[in-house]
Amino acid sequence: MSFGILTDLTKCVGCQACAWACKEINGLPADDGAKKLAANTWTFVEQRRGVSIRRQCMHCLEPTCVSACPVAALEKTETGPVIYQEDRCIGCRYCIMACPFEIPKYEWDSVQPRVQKCIMCYDKRIARGEQPACTEVCPAQATIFGNREKLIAIARQRIADNPGGYVDHIYGVQEAGGTSVLYLSDVPFSELGFKTASKNGAYPKLTWEILRKIPNVVGVGGVLMFGIWWIINRRITLEKVRNGELSEDEAFGASRHEEEAI
Amino acid sequence: MNLQNTKLSFWKVVAGIAFVLGIYATFVRFTQGLGGATNLTDEFPWGIWIGFDVLVGVGLAAGGFVIAATVHIFNLEKFKVISRPVILTAFLGYSLVIVALLFDLGRPHRIWHPLIMWNPHSVMFEVAWCVTLYTIVLALEFSPIVLEKFKLKKTLRLVRSLFIPLVILGVLLSTLHQSSLGTLYVLVPDKLHGLWYSPLLPVFFFISAIAAGLAMVIFESFLSQRAFNKKLEPEVLVSLARVIVVVLAVYLVLKFQDLAGRGNLTLAFTMSREMVLFWGEIGLGVVLPMVLLFSARVREREEGLFFSALLVIVGFVVSRLNVSITGMLNSETYFPKWTEIAVTVAIVVLGFVIFVYAAKHFPVFGLEKFEPGKGVPNAKTYSPAFSGNVVLAFWAVLLTGIIAYGMAANHVNNNGQNKPPALYAARSVDPLEQELQLPKNIVFPAGEDSPGPVTFSHENHVLIQERPDCTACHAGGYAIIATGESSSIPAGTMHEVHSCGKCHNGEQAFGIEDDCESCHQAED
Repeated sequence: MSFGILTDLTKCVGCQACAWACKEINGLPADDGAKKLAANTWTFVEQRRGVSIRRQCMHCLEPTCVSACPVAALEKTETGPVIYQEDRCIGCRYCIMACPFEIPKYEWDSVQPRVQKCIMCYDKRIARGEQPACTEVCPAQATIFGNREKLIAIARQRIADNPGGYVDHIYGVQEAGGTSVLYLSDVPFSELGFKTASKNGAYPKLTWEILRKIPNVVGVGGVLMFGIWWIINRRITLEKVRNGELSEDEAFGASRHEEEAI
Repeated sequence: MNLQNTKLSFWKVVAGIAFVLGIYATFVRFTQGLGGATNLTDEFPWGIWIGFDVLVGVGLAAGGFVIAATVHIFNLEKFKVISRPVILTAFLGYSLVIVALLFDLGRPHRIWHPLIMWNPHSVMFEVAWCVTLYTIVLALEFSPIVLEKFKLKKTLRLVRSLFIPLVILGVLLSTLHQSSLGTLYVLVPDKLHGLWYSPLLPVFFFISAIAAGLAMVIFESFLSQRAFNKKLEPEVLVSLARVIVVVLAVYLVLKFQDLAGRGNLTLAFTMSREMVLFWGEIGLGVVLPMVLLFSARVREREEGLFFSALLVIVGFVVSRLNVSITGMLNSETYFPKWTEIAVTVAIVVLGFVIFVYAAKHFPVFGLEKFEPGKGVPNAKTYSPAFSGNVVLAFWAVLLTGIIAYGMAANHVNNNGQNKPPALYAARSVDPLEQELQLPKNIVFPAGEDSPGPVTFSHENHVLIQERPDCTACHAGGYAIIATGESSSIPAGTMHEVHSCGKCHNGEQAFGIEDDCESCHQAED
């Protein structure tokens, strides 16, 4: 069962209940007064062009951050959330570089910094069969939790029921190969600061297509270089024998002459 | 002699200052974290410690595997004379890259994690493994020099018997991670400018590293000559220069083919900050040295050779910085903090110091007879042809490069391409018109001496605001997540500041003491 979150921007009143519930359940300090996502603000309702837009981790189906992490500190769980294992993280910040939605944030001012982002309450709520705190407190039902397939069906139904009230696009069905978090809007997504992430599939395949060739490079390259060395070395040895610089015993015995002068 | 001594002490002073600043910057880094020591942000998470120290450092050390392969696999004997200093440089280069990583990683004490916590899908994982293994290979490739000095014959024989497999392993590992540093950026098609983003980045990184690595060999030979009075191998260096021309030509053709193939060629001819930097990299770092080195007259003069090699190196540095910094999204928000620069300079100086030390105390140069502590005895004293002009050229190129790069990097693109959007979008709905499903009423049971229970209604409280803002109250200590427990307030505390009294104080809202019945329902 893969869960997701559907946020309908036509219903969001910008009350920040979700943002506060997130801070409360995760024990994040409220001191920042930040107007955007930060290491201690994992979700936030941004005001842009008169539209309230709830930002949070998209929980990609094939997350770029998960493929980027050298120590597998980030993980896509079967139930949907992309989670972070702090004790593995080395702090290379490639996940922050890689994320096409610019979601993961870093605790820059800490000497033991962590990468921070929404984890869809996977431990505190989903593991107990409950919905995340943010969707629970939304007074407008603008952000709802459920099975991703069902959420897509709900979103399609809403567009079908009110074709003039929405742009005909569910953001997150195809973006970056599909995301667990989905959005509906009455204003084109490109005008609301939504990243025009690739609709041609997930990002990890970009590098995997290159990485998977490594065994071939190693195998073919190794044999090729050894072959070249062998041929050239053999020729040099034979020539030395022909010129009388080496006796045949020296040349074809256990001699290591070619390495003596390394 | 006097002149040389004063020069030496001048450089010692420079090194001393660099170390003092570096040590202070190190203190700042490890007491205040990356936030205090760098200008990095969530918008721009990788700075010069990655862009310069790692990407440039690894690239310039590429001479190590190229020369090792040339000498030991292709058996081109004439390059043997430079093989030891080159391998030493590579070994130092990689060791210092690891030092730089200890600064850049948020949790440097976990640098070993990739060795036991695997993610084969990660480019960074592959780079971590290759760099670790290759540093070990380089240490082994360099070890005969140390073993010779201490006359450890048995170990020496063992290393020599493994030498060819080691060299082959070294070439493979280098090929993999030199290219993989480029692959790192294949993952960010939306963030890297079109002049640099390409699925062929690993190929570009690999080819340009070969050219820069070889140019570094030439550059370094000249410096060694100045520092140690070590005679140059002009024939060898000129051969390297020829190879560089070919490698650069391949790079140039591929680069433009790739740009054309992706339809981004126009970007190279449309005025922008990126275009300036692109031509700085291609024009000064690729085309100009190719033209210069193509001419035998330039190539065979020391100044010409040195100057061209320097151009290749500077061009390489710019190309790596373009990919890692200036070509990246949000680069206009970043300029390195002094601590970042101080650490970088200190690491470079550390490399020079260790190289000089090693060259003085180990048989690094040539295969001549060697007496420890006295340098190379039968090196020819060299005529001072390589001094005034070349040194001037060196500083001129370097300074011009730094200034031009700084100016181009700071030039804000005001072409007005990003028109600010209209303040309000045309909406088909007004979310505020819908009826909110506010939480149920909360009944606080009556305590002792209380006139009756109090019912808190969200409807009454939210409506008084123009626009619902849950944090107005919930950020102030009233939990938003229902706990399911009975939420009775201890008797008698209702009027206090952490309860109703917080707002109902007669200023923000009607005062509590006025009229009990308006809140407390009389008990039936």
